[in-house]
Amino acid sequence: MDALELFWTFLQASFLSLGGQTALPLLRQQLVDAGVVTDRQIIEALTIGRLGTGPGGLYMVSLAYFALGWIGAFVALVAITLPPLTILPLATTLRHQLLSAPFAGAVRGLALCTSGLVVSTTAFLIVPGTADGVNSWWQAVLLVAGVALGIEGKRHPMLIIAVGAVAGVLLSR
Amino acid sequence: MDRPLSAAAERAAPRPLALLRAWFAIGTQSVGGGSSTLFLMRLFMVERRRWMTQREFLEDWALSRLSPGVHMVALAGLLGRRVDGSRGAALAVLGMMVPAGVITMLLTAGYGLVRDEPLVRAALAGTGPVTVGMTIGVTYALARTAVRRGRRAIIDWLVVVASAVAGFVVSSPFVVIVAGALIGALLLGRERKVPSESPMA
Repeated sequence: MDALELFWTFLQASFLSLGGQTALPLLRQQLVDAGVVTDRQIIEALTIGRLGTGPGGLYMVSLAYFALGWIGAFVALVAITLPPLTILPLATTLRHQLLSAPFAGAVRGLALCTSGLVVSTTAFLIVPGTADGVNSWWQAVLLVAGVALGIEGKRHPMLIIAVGAVAGVLLSR
Repeated sequence: MDRPLSAAAERAAPRPLALLRAWFAIGTQSVGGGSSTLFLMRLFMVERRRWMTQREFLEDWALSRLSPGVHMVALAGLLGRRVDGSRGAALAVLGMMVPAGVITMLLTAGYGLVRDEPLVRAALAGTGPVTVGMTIGVTYALARTAVRRGRRAIIDWLVVVASAVAGFVVSSPFVVIVAGALIGALLLGRERKVPSESPMA
């Protein structure tokens, strides 16, 4: 995959998502299926995205780095920055339409279905029996704790990841 | 250049360098994702610099949630434009995304140097499940804000479940996404949900 294809992949995924995380299903399908990145690298990119600064969607820059190095990362940074900015002209020219029932419904439908897709995509990442899957009781506990803390949204992600890292070092063989 | 949209900004138009400095701080000091970015945006725009009112901030926050992609980028553009027109929007987006993006790249490059160390691989066995868990939890929280109230909530959650199941059996997420948007436009727009989770909650 060259830089232009990578740009198109991230641009498309960003345009068809609401919030950075919901781009994950499309990215996994296009990048993992093509052999450009692995599921392990997706997990690594999600972790780095949580440890870095700025919006959470920057995990995509990390993922693009894994795919194509520095060029890929810069290309992805541009590709994920452009789609959200379409709201600027829309907010002034089509403000009335943005508040219409069909548009609100389309946005809701997009949010709901991409959320469901994120669940199935992440399930593929942690299938038991695979190298990066949830293969032990303590990994299952960490998974459930991560879900609960993600819903709560009050603990700092860096702290949660640090606890996971310590648990991994102490409990994995 | 178009005029700033904020009455507060017209009273005290900030210099470009001051704008850039504020957004650079937001891009480099917000660790952990969207909620900490949102917190710092409000801190700088409303509390410290007083470039806009709380109400103006909330208006842009609500609009940003309708944008495709990363909502914080849309919010940066909207807030920047409110303060200093097109120039403000450009400075806000560049000031936040370029340093944050470079930090992410450096972290990834640094990780690449140590990824095969046994200690790092052992740590990943723990960070992997917890990060995937957080991704699921944050996504659930996102879906919850989109779900309508009352009986319609049942329909909305069914769409989430059906999409999750479709993710296992349909090879192309694109098909599911387009179907979700179409179904939404036709069936899910009857009640517009007032945002219940304010960034200041």
